[in-house]
Formats: sequence, C-alpha cells, structure tokens
Amino acid sequence: MRYFLRRLMQAAFLLIGVSILTFLFSTLAPGNYFDEMRLNPQISPETVAALRAQYQLDRPLPVRYARWVNSLLRGEMGFSFAYNSPVAPLLWVRARNTLLLTFTATLIAWALALPLGIWSATTLGGFADRALSWATAALLVIPDLVLALGLLILAVRSGWFPSGGMLSVGFESLTPWQKLRDVAWHMELPLLALVLSALPILVRHVRAAVADVLHAPFLRAAASHGIPQRTLLYKYALRAAANPLISLFGFSMGALLSGSLLVEVVMSWPGLGPLLLEAILARDLYVVIGGVLCSTVFLVAGNFLADVLVYWADPRIRAGAATK
Amino acid sequence: MIQCRGWKRWLLALAVLHGIVACAGFFAPYNAAEQDRKRPYLPPMKIHLVDTQGHFHLRPFFYAMRLREGSFDQFEEDTGQILPLRFFVGGARYQLLGLVPSRLHLFGAQTARLYLLGSDAYGRDQLSRILYGGQISLLAGLLGAGLTLAIGVAIGAIAGYFGGWRDGLLMRVAELFAALPWLYLLFAFRAFLPLSVSSVQAFFLIVLVIGAVGWARPARLVRGVVLSARERDYVRAARGFGATDGYLLRRHILPETSSVILTQAAILVPQFVLAEMTLSFLGLGVPEPVPSWGSLLASLQQYSVLVSYWWMYVPALAIVPFFLGYLGLASALQEDAGTVKIEGTTNGGIW
Amino acid sequence: MRRENMDRLLIVEKIEKRYERTHVLGAKKEVAALQGVSFSLRRGSTLALVGESGSGKSTLALCIACLERPTSGRIFFNESEITACDEKRLREVRPQIQLVFQDPARALNPRFSALEIVSEPLLVQGRLDKPEREDRARSLFAQVGLPQEKALQRVEEFSGGQRQRLAIARALSLEPKLLILDEALSSLDCSVQAQIANLLMELQASLGLTYLFITHDFAMAGHLADEIAVMEQGKLVELGPADKLLRAPGQEVTRRLIAATPRLCAAAPAPKAV
Repeated sequence: MRYFLRRLMQAAFLLIGVSILTFLFSTLAPGNYFDEMRLNPQISPETVAALRAQYQLDRPLPVRYARWVNSLLRGEMGFSFAYNSPVAPLLWVRARNTLLLTFTATLIAWALALPLGIWSATTLGGFADRALSWATAALLVIPDLVLALGLLILAVRSGWFPSGGMLSVGFESLTPWQKLRDVAWHMELPLLALVLSALPILVRHVRAAVADVLHAPFLRAAASHGIPQRTLLYKYALRAAANPLISLFGFSMGALLSGSLLVEVVMSWPGLGPLLLEAILARDLYVVIGGVLCSTVFLVAGNFLADVLVYWADPRIRAGAATK
Repeated sequence: MIQCRGWKRWLLALAVLHGIVACAGFFAPYNAAEQDRKRPYLPPMKIHLVDTQGHFHLRPFFYAMRLREGSFDQFEEDTGQILPLRFFVGGARYQLLGLVPSRLHLFGAQTARLYLLGSDAYGRDQLSRILYGGQISLLAGLLGAGLTLAIGVAIGAIAGYFGGWRDGLLMRVAELFAALPWLYLLFAFRAFLPLSVSSVQAFFLIVLVIGAVGWARPARLVRGVVLSARERDYVRAARGFGATDGYLLRRHILPETSSVILTQAAILVPQFVLAEMTLSFLGLGVPEPVPSWGSLLASLQQYSVLVSYWWMYVPALAIVPFFLGYLGLASALQEDAGTVKIEGTTNGGIW
Repeated sequence: MRRENMDRLLIVEKIEKRYERTHVLGAKKEVAALQGVSFSLRRGSTLALVGESGSGKSTLALCIACLERPTSGRIFFNESEITACDEKRLREVRPQIQLVFQDPARALNPRFSALEIVSEPLLVQGRLDKPEREDRARSLFAQVGLPQEKALQRVEEFSGGQRQRLAIARALSLEPKLLILDEALSSLDCSVQAQIANLLMELQASLGLTYLFITHDFAMAGHLADEIAVMEQGKLVELGPADKLLRAPGQEVTRRLIAATPRLCAAAPAPKAV
C-alpha cells in the first residue's frame, strides 16, 4: 500500500511540475492572442486592453498560475479565447475521442504483438522468425508521418475508407448499433496507422523478452523434468517474461499517445491533437496548457496502471515492498 | 576501437546520401524557388528511349506537356515535341556547399522545363525542392541531435560523477522530461515561441526546440556509464597522484561514454529530422518559401491535392533511405559494442 | 622527536575506521573496519601486513595513502602528521606514498599506451615537460625490466606480469618514499610472482624504498619482509621480526595462517623472464 502511495505522490509531483513548466514557457512567448487582435484595425485598443484585463494577462506569473490552479479545482481549467468557453468541457470531449482511439490501438497492437513475438521466439532463426524480422525492419524504417500520409492517400484514392472525421453526416438519426459501426468504420484508418507504427517495436521486444526467458537455466531444468512444451511456455516462461513486458505496456501507451496526435491531425480524427494544433496556431494559451496536461495525465495513469499490474504479477516486487 | 566493418558500410552509405543533399545545387536541375505559373501540378515526366514511331534514341528524351483538350488542369504528353535530356548542363546559378559559385548541373533540358517528380502549385520542380528541402531538414536534425547530446552528456556526466544532491535533482528533472509525450512537449515549446519570424530565426528556434526535448534518455545512459567508470581502480589511482576532477573526466571517464554517444547520435538524428518534418508539415516549422521536407507535404492537407496529385506525396519517401541508413548504423554500432538493445532502434517517435 | 623516531618513516597510532551500514530492514549498524591499530615502519625496510579477507588490511592501506580518512587515531609520515590534512598539504604528501593494486588489469586504463600510463603521474602533477616526461618514463621502463619496444603499445597487449611491472613503474615515477603493495602479487602466476618479488627487492636496494606489503600469503611475507604484522577483524594481533614470527608464532591466528600456506612457490628457483 505504501508503494502505491509513493507512486501516486510521484505522479502528483510530475503533474505539478509539468503544469509549472508549460506555464513558464508561456512567459517566454512574446506575443499572444491579443497581439493578433491588436493588429486588427476594427478592434479598438481599449477593447483589447479591457479583454486583457478581463483575462488577467497583465498580472505577474505566480498570480496567473494560482488563478489557473483555482480554476482547475473548480473544474474549468482556464478559459479559451478562441472558443469563448471554459477549457475543461472542450478538453473532455476531445480527450474522450483520443482515449478511444489510443486505447483501442494499444489493445490491438498488443493482441497482435504477443502471439507474433512468442511465435518468433519459439522458432528462433527459423523462416517465420526471419520473415517477421524483415517485416518489422521494413516498418521501422517508415516513420509514422510517412505511413499516415501514405495510408490516407491510399484511402482517398481507393475509396475503401472514409477520408476523415469520426462521424458521418446524419449520425444522429442512426440506431445505436449503426452508430457503433459508423464510428468503428471511421476509426479503421487511424487505427491501422497507429497499430502499424507501434507493432514492429512491440513485436521485437516481446520476442527478445520471451527468447531471453526461454534460454534461462531454470526453464531448461523444468524441461528436463519432463514438463510438456505448452505448459512450459504458458505457465513458466510467460510468467517470467511478464515483468519487462508489462513495463513496456506502460511505455507503449506513451508512445501511442504521441503518435496519435499526428494521426489525428492527418486523418481529421476529432481528438486532442487537432485541438492542440489549433490552439497553438491561435495562441490560445489555456487550451495548450490544458491539452499538454491532459495527455500527461493519460501517460502517468497508463504508467501507474502498468505499475499496478507489475506489482500484482511479480512476487519479487511484492516482497520488496513489504520489507520497506 | 571498433574493428568490424559493418558499421563503416552504413556510414559510407549515409555519407553518400548526405553528400547528394549537400550538393543539391549540382544534382537538382533547378533552384528551389523557380516558379512557372503556367505549369502548376504537372505530373512526373517520363524519360523515354524509344519514341512513338518506334525509333531508338541514344540520348534519353522526354516530351513537352500540353493541356488536355477540354480540361484546364489535366496535362498530357505532346508527342510531337521531343526534348533531349542533357547532362552536365549550365543552368541557374547556385553556390556549391555555400562556398563555390557554379552553374553546372548534373542534368537538365535546355529549352523546356523538366519535371522528373512533377511540379507543385506554383510550377516549382519537386525534385529540386526535395533536394534543397533535404538540406534544411537534415541540418535541423543534425544540429538538434548535436544540441541534445551536448546537453545530455553534460547533465549525465555531472549527475554521475558528483552524485549526491546534484544527481538526485538532475535525474528528477530528467524523469520529468522523459515522462512527457515528446510530440506534445515539442508543440508546447513551439507554441510559446513567436509564430512569424524570419526563416533563419525560425530555423534556429526549431533546432533549439527540438534539441531541448530529447536529452533525458542520453543523459541517463551517460550517467550510468560515468557512475561505473568513476569506481574503476585506475581512476582511484589517478586521484592518488593528485588528478583533478576535470582531468579524470576528460582523460578517463568521458572516453568511456563514446560508444553510447555515437549510438545515441545514430538513433537521434533521424528522429529529429522527422520532428522537423512534422513541425513544418503542420505549419509550425520553417516558413515559406524555404523548402523543407515537411512543408513540401503541407499541401497534402487539402483534399483536392490528396485526391488528384499523388506525386506531392513523394517528398515523404525521401526520408526513408536516411532512416534506413541511420537505423542500420545504430544497429551495427550496438552489435559491436556488444549490447544489442533492441529498445534503442525506435521508430519515429522519441519515446 | 626522539632519535629513534627519525628512523621511522611511518608511524600509525591507534587508527580506527568505522563505517555505517544501513541494514535491509532499516536498522543502522556500525561496522568497525579498523580498531586501534598501531605500528611503525623503519626507513628502507619491508613490513608485511598479513591477514584473511575482511581483516581490514586494504582499509588500512587506503588510510595511509590518504585516500580515506580514519575515524580516529593519528598517522605520522616522515615526522609530520598527515591524518587530517587539507588539500594543499595532501598534494605535497601524496606523491611520496604510492599504491600498487592487486589487479593490474583494473588498475591501468586499458586504452592508454604504456608510455602514457607511466608518465601520467608526472603529467598530473605538472612536473617536467613532454620530452622530459618521456625520458623519465623510458628510464623507468628499463628499471622495471620492460622492453623499450613495447613503450607505445596499449596495456591490453601486455601480459599479467608485465602489467604489474608497468604499475610499479608508474608508482615509482613520482619518486615515492613509501610503496604500499596491496596484494600486488596475488593475482599473478607463481613463476611470475617470484620474478616480480625479486624485482621489488632490487628496487628497494637501489632506490632505498620502504615497503608496506599487504598479503594473505605467509610464505611470500616470510620471503620478502623484515617484519610481519598479523591482523584479524580490524585488530593488530601480533607484530614482530619475520623469521622469529615464522619459527615461533605467538597467537593462534598466526599459527593458523602459517599452517594454511602452501610451501611450493617460496622455494622455487627464479625462472627466465616473461
């Protein structure tokens, strides 16, 4: 229990640190949303000054930070100048979509990587293993931007996939089942892009972890006792390989989160990515901070989840934590 | 140090690729900014050896393009006009490697415009823009990686060598940076820097942004090496002769980090080139008219371009041979160092 | 200072060294590596410090070489106290006390060339310029019996015995008065041990060196040392002239250690140089 409290505290410190960091950067920026407004001759300087005062931008940094934290606690997370609304509701909708995409991609990627990696590890050096190695190497060499754009062109020219967005026109009038299918259909292309970009690394790691364990002395000893191959693999080897793989799981969530930003923008999936980009181009300060913080929360939560799983799976960690 | 030839081959291949981009002026038929408003979005021209009458020409040639009947944006080959491809022609002025003025180009056509990879909305030759764009993107990647490594080595060495509170503090900060999704961090950094600046300023700002993001991992790796090197007997012996910290770091400890640094460099450079591409693609990078691989792709954000003009995608493929080269180099280096760490050969994102 | 003390290069008085070890369960335990050790060393002589692993020998060596600070007690070197000196004083004293370690593979940076190894102390101390350093290094090569052709080769290409010669050459470069040899022969082959031992004796005669020879091998101690001190668990249990101790050991510990020593190496004739 103390182990988790400590991890929670670390996570909290991390989030505070990130929020301060991003707030700090905002002071480095010459120019903001209102500078653009000032250039607009139709808006008088008094209006601009009044707006600035209203949004408290002329106060010193610590004051602004304190007010933002206050706003955070009230559930608002600051104010968006562009959308003229509190940031939190904007974020929530987009974050939900991003989570949907990223979570599904993680599941699919792992569902594919585990069997492929294990198969590779059990037939080390064989034809399947080498073919898979080549395939992962080929995918590794193609960066995610290139992959995403390529898939998009393919989709658009072939008409197999929708060219963007999450919902079709007339979504409201569909039955729940049809709504689900509609979203799923729109999700296919971004999912493909994300899974293909994450798969090669995962497969290689799984292969390495399982191969390591399969050649460990304790496993050979077990085999010499006559334990059947299948049991060896699933009951012994995978258990031992679980630790590094679970850490990798947490790790992969972070990577997919970064990857999803790009994929969302390219494929017009209404997630945090496009929102963040818009906000940056419009210098919408609080949305940017909110977006960065949101993604950090997901990452930290993902890693925390991984920690929980590792604790549950690996008795050594339990023992180590108990004696502290 | 490393005897095996594997990594040298990759290095050679990379050197050739970089050389071609560095000498973009020679290999590209045109300058990056040369426009031809009468020929927007021309598809790539084919090089022929046999003409429509079945005659074989010794010198490769291409056909001029003319507008198709009844269309205002579809082009087709004008088989009546045969335009020979010439090698080592004189063309637009440029400065080789920024130093030597020259007018010599590897190939070109004297009388008409040759678009081997098609043209963009302003009639600019894509092939030339890809070559020149590579200069910007690759340079940004190399400089960014250099900056990151410099920061990472400095921080890792201080944390590992002095230990104590310095180590604790620096590693906490590193954890902070490493825990963030890097693309978000990159955006946040970029967000808070001025949007409209001159090209040169923008370029260096981007390098700064890219370089300041990824130092956490190299720092941690260097710290590990420094920690173990610090405890070696010969370091203790040298201290016994009265060696200063600076001397120990310089002569005994930092040389141990060289293999880690080289491997990290091979991994980071392509990632940072990709980072620049991503930023430019989204409009946050080097502004027009300076070409960069990312900004060459920016037009693909328009649906019309996506559907009709597939050759605008080709700049994206330009980075693939470089990725291959760098990842191959990193693999070879790691194998030589005896530590085959698969997690080192990562894909686009800096994880 | 009394007249007889001027004869003593090194005087160690009631040295104690305690470490704090944090136990797994959080309790802090104090480990006493050295408890009340006192002895002295005459100029030009060899004192062997014998004991099993963990008896505190290496800790004592580090304290004397000023690489560790004793928790209490005093150390006198060349008639002045060096126990708790400042950096400036240490810089004067350190070159006079040099260490030769047990494992030359770890004590020498494998990437350095032999010349760089031997001239490193001079480089670090800032004495002599480059050509003079090289000359001095080469003369040291000759003194320890290393061929000049090997001067530019890397340490990796030397054998164990040659590396130890290199380590000795390096230790001698600063013209020390006291040489502490911490198990310096233990990791060498038997025949090589004899050669290096003979080299050490020659050097002592020609350069007037004083040796503190740390070992767990009683036979070696008997062969090389004038006096032997026996340590057990941080305490000095017996001290006396070598031959007397070997013939008539006083303590149980000493008897046990003598009985455990194989007799072969000490009696073997010195073979040809490696």
